[in-house]
Amino acid sequence: MNIPGKSRSLTELQEGQSGIVQSLNGGRNLTKRLADLGMGPGTRIRVLRTSLFAGPVQVEVSGSKLVLGRGLASKILVETI
Amino acid sequence: MNDNKRINVVLAGQGNTGKTSIFNYYTGSHQHTGNWAGKTIEKLEGTLYYKGYTIDVLDLPGIYSLTTLSVEELIAREYIIKHKPDVVINIVDSTNLERNLIFTLQLLELECPLIIALNMVDLARKKGVEIDTGKLQKKLNTPVVPTIASRGTGLTELMDKVIEIKENGHHPGVIRYGREIENAVDELSPGLNTAGLLYPDRWIAIKLLEKDSEITKSIRETRPDLTEKKKTLANRLEEIHGHDSSLVISDERSHYASQIVRETATITPHQKPSFSDRLDIITTHKFTGYFVMIFIVGGMFLSVFKLGNWLSSVLETVFTSWHEWWNINVGESFLAALSWSAIEGVLALVEIALPYILPFYILLYVLEEWGYIARISFLMDNLMHKIGIHGKGCISFIIGLGCNVPGCLSCRIMESKRERFLTAVLVTLVPCSAVSVIVFGLVGKYVGIIWAMGLYLFAMIVIFAAGKILSKLLPGEPVELIMPMPDYKTPRLKTILYQTWDALKEFIYIAAPIVIIAGVVIQAINLIGWMPAISSFLSPLTVNWLGLPAITGILLIFGILRKELILVMLAAYLGTTEFAEVLSPVQMITLAVVSMFYVPCIATVSVLWKEYGWKRALAVTVIEILFAILLAGLVYRLLTLFGM
Repeated sequence: MNIPGKSRSLTELQEGQSGIVQSLNGGRNLTKRLADLGMGPGTRIRVLRTSLFAGPVQVEVSGSKLVLGRGLASKILVETI
Repeated sequence: MNDNKRINVVLAGQGNTGKTSIFNYYTGSHQHTGNWAGKTIEKLEGTLYYKGYTIDVLDLPGIYSLTTLSVEELIAREYIIKHKPDVVINIVDSTNLERNLIFTLQLLELECPLIIALNMVDLARKKGVEIDTGKLQKKLNTPVVPTIASRGTGLTELMDKVIEIKENGHHPGVIRYGREIENAVDELSPGLNTAGLLYPDRWIAIKLLEKDSEITKSIRETRPDLTEKKKTLANRLEEIHGHDSSLVISDERSHYASQIVRETATITPHQKPSFSDRLDIITTHKFTGYFVMIFIVGGMFLSVFKLGNWLSSVLETVFTSWHEWWNINVGESFLAALSWSAIEGVLALVEIALPYILPFYILLYVLEEWGYIARISFLMDNLMHKIGIHGKGCISFIIGLGCNVPGCLSCRIMESKRERFLTAVLVTLVPCSAVSVIVFGLVGKYVGIIWAMGLYLFAMIVIFAAGKILSKLLPGEPVELIMPMPDYKTPRLKTILYQTWDALKEFIYIAAPIVIIAGVVIQAINLIGWMPAISSFLSPLTVNWLGLPAITGILLIFGILRKELILVMLAAYLGTTEFAEVLSPVQMITLAVVSMFYVPCIATVSVLWKEYGWKRALAVTVIEILFAILLAGLVYRLLTLFGM
């Protein structure tokens, strides 16, 4: 079930779904790195590809495509839209 | 030389922006590579002569920000601030404008003389992105030159701009962020660089609010009075924005970047998906993606091996005739034989570099330029994580299948030291083309192709197990994959040839001296007549434990130079290539297992030495020798037990 407006981890999104980043739950280095890549809170992020056996996700953020490791993606909390 | 006629230019940018193409375009044949002091990170420098100027160009490592999160980032910002280059060229990927501009803003904060090379404008246009360079220039208060590096378009104009800045001077535009941040910066910045740092006041203030570890540390030491003030200001920002002040600054930059994009670029979304997107429907799909990958990588290997085996046998015939000529015309005296072994070392390198490594590199860089390598990393990330590294490590494994030397060198793409070493060790266990010669030439030919394939599977299991164990043993956390996914683009022959040549050159530099020296030493031992003594000394190991003929002791010593020498020497000693006459199937498999794992060849050891120090290189070598012998002995006993 995908209820709009519900907050969830990026890894729970289906291919093609978008969300707004709410918070980054991780060490400072990690969150900083994500923020430097333009994925800070408030950013719109779209899942392009998920992969087999809980692998990495490919996302589109501010016009760029990025691949994020599973562990990393699970630390990004988004509100689905 | 007149200092006025010399310009120092630095190229800075994220990965995949075409930075290397621009560097190669400018410096071409006048390049030299070295390492950053005390670091194993490559430093690329080159020289260009243009309009009466001697222009030194330095290629900074590709990075995503100027924080202290990685060694490369630290190197980049320290270089810019300490060496005060005349001009910093920021190469921006127009197809990923917003993300790239975040980095541009960080460069502007450093208040260095900046020019922006707006690269790949053609690809951006194809994507429906039209950028108004005039507006962008005004907005950033910095010269912007549109370029297409792969074709050389705009690069002359870019250099003209560099000279213009050198001649007329340049006042970098200061970027103003949101009011709360500016207030905090204004309160914090006055007189900050009296702390002995070379950075601009404003920059230090921003970095303090960003909680940059290096700057925070040096300010804590030199200006302890500021610690409280900094904390209050950071707290105030955190109260307003609701998250860590380091994120507040990053967010401000991304918002600023996105605002610039909105104001300077018009984006016409395509009605139908681009070619790249359509290709990705198959190539990154969770099922079809793997089929495509197996097809592409498998096809690449089969064709390289087919071509390589043919070319290598041609070369072998030629070199054998040279050896005969040498024996007849120079003689077979001690000195003559020793000199020949030095020549043979060179020929051996040619024999591995020309038929295998060269075509392999070309295909690899075709895939890289095309954008496929990033897809492999994406598809393999999950599996790689199980052995403590991430998807990019897979690339080193693929290269290692060709030759372990470039495989180990390629581990530099991994982010942390731990990852680099872990990947490199695993690469030494990957069966390279020389090992394949043994596996297929011996086991595949005389025992059966199924057994040869079985050995490959066995190697994969060993690598997997070794990765599991090593990732537990090595201290530190595994790094997560963050990788930009480039669009597919048409590979450019020139870029591919450049990269191939660079990689090949490095292989030769590292491998050549040690292979030649070791070849001469081993030949000397052979000529003095110590080999029988050595083989009988090793016989408890070779004969009793491994169940092999005593002669293999000598073979394994020669194999340190190049593993396929094991087979070549065996044929030479036997006077025949009918190995089945002297070795039983079990012995062949045992010999192949030892050869696979027993020692990274001498050239690989020298890379490990160069990259990770002699202690680690030695440890890896010794452990792998012991492991291979133990393993092969067990294999021998098991196979005998099951009545083979």
